[in-house]
Amino acid sequence: MYGKQRFLLAVIIALVVAALVVVSQLPARLGLDLRGGAQLTLAVQTTEAVPEITPRVLEAVQSVVEGRINGLGVSEAVVQTSGNDQLLVQLPGVSDPEQAERVLGGTAQLEFLAQRPGTEVQLPIEQRLLAELLLERSQLETAEPVNAQELAEIREKVQRQEAEIAKLYESTELTGDRLRDAFAQAPAGATGSWRVVVQFDTRGGDLFAQLTRNIAGTGRTLGIFLDERLISAPTVQAQYAETGIVGGTAEISGNFDAQSANDLAIQLRGGALPVPVEIVENRTVGATLGRDSIRRSIYAGLGGLVLVLAFMVFYYRLPGLIADIALCIYALLTYAAFVLVGVTLTLPGIAGFILSIGMAVDANVLIFERTREELQAGKTLYRSIESGFYRAFSSILDSAITTLIACGALIWLGSGLVRGFAITLAIGVCVSIFTAVTCSRTLLFLSISIPSLRKPVLFAPRKVEAIQ
Amino acid sequence: MKIVVSKIRTWTWATSGLLIAVGVLAMAISWMQFGAPLKPGLDFAGGTRLQFERDCTQAQVCDTPIDLAVVRQVLTEQGLGSSSIQILGAEQQGLSIRSVPLEPEIRNRLQSNLESELGAFDPAQTQIDTVGPTLGRQLLIAGMLALLVSFLGIIIYLSVRFQTDYAVLAIVALLHDVLVTAGVFALLGLVQGVEIDSLFVVALLTIVGFSVNDTVVIYDRVRENLKTHGDAGISEVVDIAVNQTLGRSINTTLTTILPLLAIFVLGGETLKYFALALIIGFVAGAYSSIFVASTLLAWWRERQMPALKTAVSYGEDSDLLE
Repeated sequence: MYGKQRFLLAVIIALVVAALVVVSQLPARLGLDLRGGAQLTLAVQTTEAVPEITPRVLEAVQSVVEGRINGLGVSEAVVQTSGNDQLLVQLPGVSDPEQAERVLGGTAQLEFLAQRPGTEVQLPIEQRLLAELLLERSQLETAEPVNAQELAEIREKVQRQEAEIAKLYESTELTGDRLRDAFAQAPAGATGSWRVVVQFDTRGGDLFAQLTRNIAGTGRTLGIFLDERLISAPTVQAQYAETGIVGGTAEISGNFDAQSANDLAIQLRGGALPVPVEIVENRTVGATLGRDSIRRSIYAGLGGLVLVLAFMVFYYRLPGLIADIALCIYALLTYAAFVLVGVTLTLPGIAGFILSIGMAVDANVLIFERTREELQAGKTLYRSIESGFYRAFSSILDSAITTLIACGALIWLGSGLVRGFAITLAIGVCVSIFTAVTCSRTLLFLSISIPSLRKPVLFAPRKVEAIQ
Repeated sequence: MKIVVSKIRTWTWATSGLLIAVGVLAMAISWMQFGAPLKPGLDFAGGTRLQFERDCTQAQVCDTPIDLAVVRQVLTEQGLGSSSIQILGAEQQGLSIRSVPLEPEIRNRLQSNLESELGAFDPAQTQIDTVGPTLGRQLLIAGMLALLVSFLGIIIYLSVRFQTDYAVLAIVALLHDVLVTAGVFALLGLVQGVEIDSLFVVALLTIVGFSVNDTVVIYDRVRENLKTHGDAGISEVVDIAVNQTLGRSINTTLTTILPLLAIFVLGGETLKYFALALIIGFVAGAYSSIFVASTLLAWWRERQMPALKTAVSYGEDSDLLE
């Protein structure tokens, strides 16, 4: 018996140390409502040509949106799919989302351009310059602390360089709406590389043949532009100089692996889709706005919790004190779980956390009330505590599961803030079952192994005296 | 202290009935006024809410409070005269505007027009919320669906863990708590213009979880007592169970409400009504578990008693009677 207690104690201490390490090493992810930024929800609209938004369509649109966001150069921007036809765009630190809203709405523009004669030498130089700038930009974006001014400068340079490259191409009639499909194809042999297959409709096939005939064998490239940015620049082999690539199907080969071939195919598909994107929700919070109000709410909640801790000691004496320790361990473990799971802490999320602490208190209250009753019924201290835990467990489990059912419904059907709240509450409830049953129990048995603490008065002051 | 809940059940049921009736009446009135049982906020009705704060680091910007008439005029010029405007803050340097959903260009024009009249705004203090009308409806449907799904899930779980009549009565108690909370907010919506948002739906779902907790703890005890004092009448068994769990019911409600009360009184605007909804729901939850769910169970079982006896004589489980 004591061996088991000692083992559990070691487990608890190990968990606490691990939680402390996690909390000190990993930063918590704060939601945009806490640190400021813009969150946009985009709805992908159906059209006659695309009557249904399939996951494949959504994926393609997502890649287009990601491309546009990259163009904005917001660091740590996130694009996620949400539901069947929505995309969630998070732009941390953006307090004026007008620019983002402008570039995000609207339909993608995919164009196939021909390189101008006489620019064969210039193109690789410009591309290398762009690659250097992009590398520099990504370094600046990940640097700590972020140098906003340098970052803004480099972004402007990138845009200018992209425009420079676009100038090397002249337009053709071939645009994305002529593209029927694009997909990645695995290498035929063991040694080959991945390819991207593009298929055009009849008119597109003719235009493509014309375009490729003009540039075949010249060393000039075919420029594929998505939203006016060059995403691929293949050359056309000399053998097609007579007729161009006919039949409406072509393969782009290069140094593709499965990943990059697939990325390009998705970008092409996205560009070809005639689906407009509408911004249906915009939630923007200035960087310092509400920080005061939020801080006040959190402090108020914490203040209330301190009162709860005091109440527990006052009412339940020694077990109350132990429950308080267990609650502190609970709060630490839960917070560490949030950080580990990568829960984004939003305001309702924190409210869920504070509430789950209330639940954790409830588990302890159930146990101690039961222990008290058993003491009043004349059982020994040890037996009372044992059966207090044993009998209260079914109530604790039932209440935890009913709360989890409500959380499950929210996680399943809710979105955004609502889901954040449900996830934090659910994690909290799970951890609370563990701490109430393990921590409180182990610590309580540990304390009654100390003779001077082994007094019923410390457990249920007045009532026991009355009985004696 | 010992309370005999079965003796006062006429009174406690009447109190609950009255509370719910007032709430339903308020919802009916607000249905006529707003077309919804509760006053829908931005999240559900759709629209744009803009919140600005003057940039007081610039000279002379904050010398005078913001003039409501000036703001109203700027809005009317842009055809947004029907928007609601609020001046915020003790120094009256903040501004909140609620309007129909605005396109980014229109919103930007409005902002620059306001800035040329009122002085520069601090971008770090700006808040923009735009919810499209279709999205609002989606959010509402998702919320209601979540509520229904959790009801169903709880009924199924409790039917498995207890018996069907426990499960149904627990849901009755739960509906009571949800109705009381919704009723109070319908009243607040009529009297103070309090609107409900996504957080309110979250609050309702949390109330669902906690309210069932309270009821389950008492039912758990009733079930246990039925095994040990099976010979006593059901009302007596329920009374004993309620008194045995009374300390727990009060203490748990108290410890959960303390932090919420602190958030309601001292906390910021965003969480204020969320905390209030939870407080009302939890108090109603404790009340309904102690006085309503318990006595309903006793009343129901008493009604079933004669039938139950015949069932026992046939050696059947009481569950099979329905």
